[in-house]
Amino acid sequence: MKLRTMISVKLGAAMTAAMMVTAAPASATECIAPSNPGGGWDFTCRTIGRVLSELGLVEGNVQVTNMAGGVGAVAFAMVAAERPADEDLIVATSTVGVTQMAQGRYPAPLETMRYLAMLGADVGVIAVDNDSPIQTLAELNAAMAADPSALVTGGSSGAGGWDHIRLLMVAQQAGVSDLGAIRWVQFDGGTDAVTQMMGGQIAVVSTDMGEIAGFVESGDIRVLAVLSEEPIPAFPELPTAMSQGVNVIGYNWRGLYTGGQVSDEAYNGWVEKLETLYNSDNWQQAATSAGLVPIWRGGAEFEAFVREQAGIMEQISRDIGIIQ
Amino acid sequence: MEVLSLIGSGFLVALTPLNIGLLLLGCFVGTLLGALPGLGPVNGVAVLIPLTFAFGFDPTSSLILLCAVYFGCMYGGRISSILLNIPGDEPAIMTTLDGYPMAVQGQAANALAISGVASFVGATIAVIGLSLFAPVLARAAIHFGPADYFALYILAFATIGGIAGVDPRKTLLSALIGLMLATVGIDPISGVPRYTFDNFHLFDGIEPIVALVGLFAISEILLILEKSVKDRPKAIRVDRWMPQWSAIWPTRWAMLRGSGVGFVAGVLPGAGASLGSFMAYVFEKQKSNKKGTFGKGDPRGVAAPEAGNNSAAGGALIPMLSLGVPGSGTTAVLLAMLISLNVQPGPLLFERQPDLVWGLVASLYLANIALLVLNLPMIGIFTRLMMTPTWALMPVVAAITFVGVYGISNSVFDLELMVFFGVLGYVLRKLDVSLVPLVLGLLLGGDMERNLRRAMSISDGDWSILIASPISITLYVLTIGFLALSVWLAVRDHRQTKAERLTEG
Amino acid sequence: MTGLSVRLFGAAVFAIAALYTLQAGTYQITFGDVLGPSVFPVIVGIPMMILSASLVVFPTGQVEWAGRDRMWRQAAALAVFVAYVLLMEQIGFPITTAALIALIGIIMGGAPWRAVALGAVFGPGLWALFDRVLGLPLDFLGKLFG
Repeated sequence: MKLRTMISVKLGAAMTAAMMVTAAPASATECIAPSNPGGGWDFTCRTIGRVLSELGLVEGNVQVTNMAGGVGAVAFAMVAAERPADEDLIVATSTVGVTQMAQGRYPAPLETMRYLAMLGADVGVIAVDNDSPIQTLAELNAAMAADPSALVTGGSSGAGGWDHIRLLMVAQQAGVSDLGAIRWVQFDGGTDAVTQMMGGQIAVVSTDMGEIAGFVESGDIRVLAVLSEEPIPAFPELPTAMSQGVNVIGYNWRGLYTGGQVSDEAYNGWVEKLETLYNSDNWQQAATSAGLVPIWRGGAEFEAFVREQAGIMEQISRDIGIIQ
Repeated sequence: MEVLSLIGSGFLVALTPLNIGLLLLGCFVGTLLGALPGLGPVNGVAVLIPLTFAFGFDPTSSLILLCAVYFGCMYGGRISSILLNIPGDEPAIMTTLDGYPMAVQGQAANALAISGVASFVGATIAVIGLSLFAPVLARAAIHFGPADYFALYILAFATIGGIAGVDPRKTLLSALIGLMLATVGIDPISGVPRYTFDNFHLFDGIEPIVALVGLFAISEILLILEKSVKDRPKAIRVDRWMPQWSAIWPTRWAMLRGSGVGFVAGVLPGAGASLGSFMAYVFEKQKSNKKGTFGKGDPRGVAAPEAGNNSAAGGALIPMLSLGVPGSGTTAVLLAMLISLNVQPGPLLFERQPDLVWGLVASLYLANIALLVLNLPMIGIFTRLMMTPTWALMPVVAAITFVGVYGISNSVFDLELMVFFGVLGYVLRKLDVSLVPLVLGLLLGGDMERNLRRAMSISDGDWSILIASPISITLYVLTIGFLALSVWLAVRDHRQTKAERLTEG
Repeated sequence: MTGLSVRLFGAAVFAIAALYTLQAGTYQITFGDVLGPSVFPVIVGIPMMILSASLVVFPTGQVEWAGRDRMWRQAAALAVFVAYVLLMEQIGFPITTAALIALIGIIMGGAPWRAVALGAVFGPGLWALFDRVLGLPLDFLGKLFG
C-alpha cells in the first residue's frame, strides 16, 4: 500500500509539474489532419488552428487530431459515417486528396463533404541534379520524347499520385506518346526523392517546391520549371513551364472541408472566419515561410473549383491510363 | 579548432536559465513518457509542440525542449523493458531480452544502471559524431540507394535467427509473420488496398506500437494469470537497491561497439533507432556470447542495444538537420516542428543558422548529462516498483497501454487489435516463439518492400540491380559471413554437447 | 502426443500463409509500378509455408497449457478487456478505466476493496493526466451521458 501511494505521489508530482506549464483550456473546435504528425495536412491543421486562436476567431485552442490512413480516406470515411453534421469540425485536404477522390480511392464520393476554402498553395517543380546534362525543360522533353524509358523519374507520391501526374502532364504536352514507359519511383517525401537524385539513383524529380527549397538555394539541384502561372516570389529567376511553352500548371493547394450535413449558417460562418484568417498577417507570414503561395478561394467558388479540378483530374487519369 | 569554438558559442546559447529549465523539464517528461508503455518519442514530441507555440519560445528553445524529450524517451523506454518485460517503445524491445532476466535474478538496479550509462555513452558518441562530421556523413548517406537499403534489411533479417529462442525456425517464422502484417494496408506505391478486408481502419496498416503493447503487455497479464494465486505475489526479489560499479565497468566495450553500430544505422535515413538497437544486440551477441549467457541476463545484452538505440537516435538527427530527410517517425515530427518555426532544415542550415544548430548540439550534450544525473538516483525508486504487488501493478499498466494507444489514434479498432495481439502474443510465447522478430518485421517490412520495389522501378525490372553497387555487395558479403559463422558455431556447439554426452554416458 | 500444440500452430500458420499467398496473386500491377504489389507478399508467404509445414512434421518444444481454473481467469480477463474496449466510448473514460483496473486487479488475486480503491484513484487520475495535462482528448462521460 505504501508503494502504491508512492507511485500516485510520483504521478501527481509529474502532473502538477506539467500542469503548471500547460493548463490549456480544452475547446470545442477540432481540426482533423488525415496524416501522421509532420505531413502537409498536419501543418495545415496546426497552423490554421494556431492562427484561429491567435486571432480570437475561436474560443480557446483548436484541437488537432491526427487520423492517418489511406491518403485521407480514413478520416473521410469517419466524418461521413459518424460526424456529418458536426459544426465544430474541420478537416485538412489538398490537391492530393482531391486526386484520390477523383480516382475513386475514397470510400464515398466527393459530394459527401462541404468544401470550405483554400488558403494557400505549394507549387510543383521539375528538377534535375546540378551535374545533370539536362539544362532546360525543352531538353528534358526531347530526351523523354526520344526514349520515354531512358530517364528514371521520382517524387513523393505513388504511381498515379499528384507528383506523378504533374510530370506526365508535362510529358504529354511535350508529345511523349507512351506515358506508361516513363519510369516512376515513389519516395516517402520530396526531400527523400531529391537526396536520392543527388546520390545518382534517379534523374528527375517532380514534387512540391516548399519541401525542397533548401536544395534549390544551395545549388545542389537545378529547377527546370516551376508549374505556376507567374514566377514564384521566393525564386523569381526560376522559369515557369508556361514561359517555356509547356502549358502545365500544377499547384498543390491546401484547404479544408467539413461534414456534408453542416447547416448553411455554420458553413458560411466558417468561410467568413477563414477569410479573416487568410487576410491576417499571421497567416500570410506562416504560409510564406512554409513555402506556400497564399491563394484564396472560399465558399461556393471553392466548391465549384474542387468539382472542376476533380473532373480534370479524372480526365487526366483516364487519358494517361491510371484509371480505366 | 573551429568546431570547438562553434560548440563553445553553442553552450552560450544553451546556458540561459530558460533553456536549462526547459532542458530539465524535457528530460523529465521524456523519461516519463518513454517509460509508459504505448507512449513513445513520437507522441511525446507531438504532444509538446502546441506547448512551444503557446508560449512563443524561440526556435532554439523549442528545439532544445523537444530534443530533450526525444532523448528522454529513449532513456525511459528501457525502464519498463527491464522491470516489466514490456517495452516502453519500439527501440526498447531488444532490452527485454537480457534486461528482464537480469531483473528476475535480482539485478534490476544493475540492469537499470547499465542501460542508463549505456544510453549516455551511446548518445554522447552520437552527439560527438554529429558535431564533428554531420555534413560529411549526410553527404555520404546520400549514396545509399534503394538496393542498398534492401541489402541492409536482408542483413538484418538474416541475422534475426541469432537473437533468441531455441528453434531458429520459430524465430524466422516470427519475423515472417511480422513482414506479412507489414503488408496490410493501402500500398503506398500502387494505391492498392491489401489484406484490408474492406475495413477502412486497416487502410493505414497496423500501427507497430499497437502490436507491440498488445504482444508484450496484454500477453504478460495472461501469462501471470496462469500461475496460481499462491505462487503469484512473487514481487520479484531485489538483491540490492543501488547499482554496483563492478557490474557496469565490464560492459564498457559492449557499449562502445553498440554505439558504433547504432550510429551508422541512425545516420542512414529510414533505418532508425529500432534497427540500431537490434543490430547492436545481434553483433554483440555474435561477438561475445561464448558461454551462451545471452538471453539469460547477460549485462552486455543490455548495454549494447541501449547504447545502439540512443546513438541511433542521435545519429538520426544528422540527415534530419543537414538534408531535411527524417530518418524516423520522431525526427519527422521534429522536422515538421522546425518548418513551422520557420527553420528550414537542409543543406544550408549549418551556414545560415549556426546559433540554432550549435545551440542544439550543446544542449544535447547537456541533456545527456542531465538524463544521467536524473536517472541514476531514480534507479532506487524504479526498482521499488518491482515490489508493488502484481495485482496492483499490472492492471494500472494495462490501463495505461489502453489509454496511450487510444489517446493517440482515437480509434477503438486499434484497441480491439491490441487485445487480439495480446492473445497472439500469449500463444506465441507459450509455443516458445520469440516476439521480438515479429515486431521488427512489422517495423521494417514496409520499408524493406518499398526499397525493393523502388530498386526494381529504377532498373525497370532487372533484378541484377540488387547486387550492382559496392555497398550492397559488401552488405551481402557480411550477411553470408554472418550466416556461415552462425552455422559453424552451431555445429561446433552441437559436437561439443555430443562429446560431453558421450563422456558422461 | 508430443508437440501437438506446435503441430497445430504450424498447421494454422500454414493455412494463413497459403491464403495470404493466394490472395497476393489477385493484386494487379498498376500503371507505372514495375514489381507491383503482389511480389513481396509471395516472397514472404512461400518461406512461411515451408517453415510452418516443417513445424507440423518436426515439432520442437513442449507446451504446458494452463489448468482449467486458470483458463477461466484468463478468459475472464479477456472478457474484461473486450468489454472495456467496447464500452469506453459509450460510458466515458474515467468510469470504464476504474472498472477495468478494479476487475483485473480482482482477477489477479487482489483483495476486492483494494482493487476498487486502486481503480477509483487511477481511473480519474489517468484521465486527468492524458486529457488535462498531455492534451490527448478523452471523453469524460461518453455518449450515453454526454
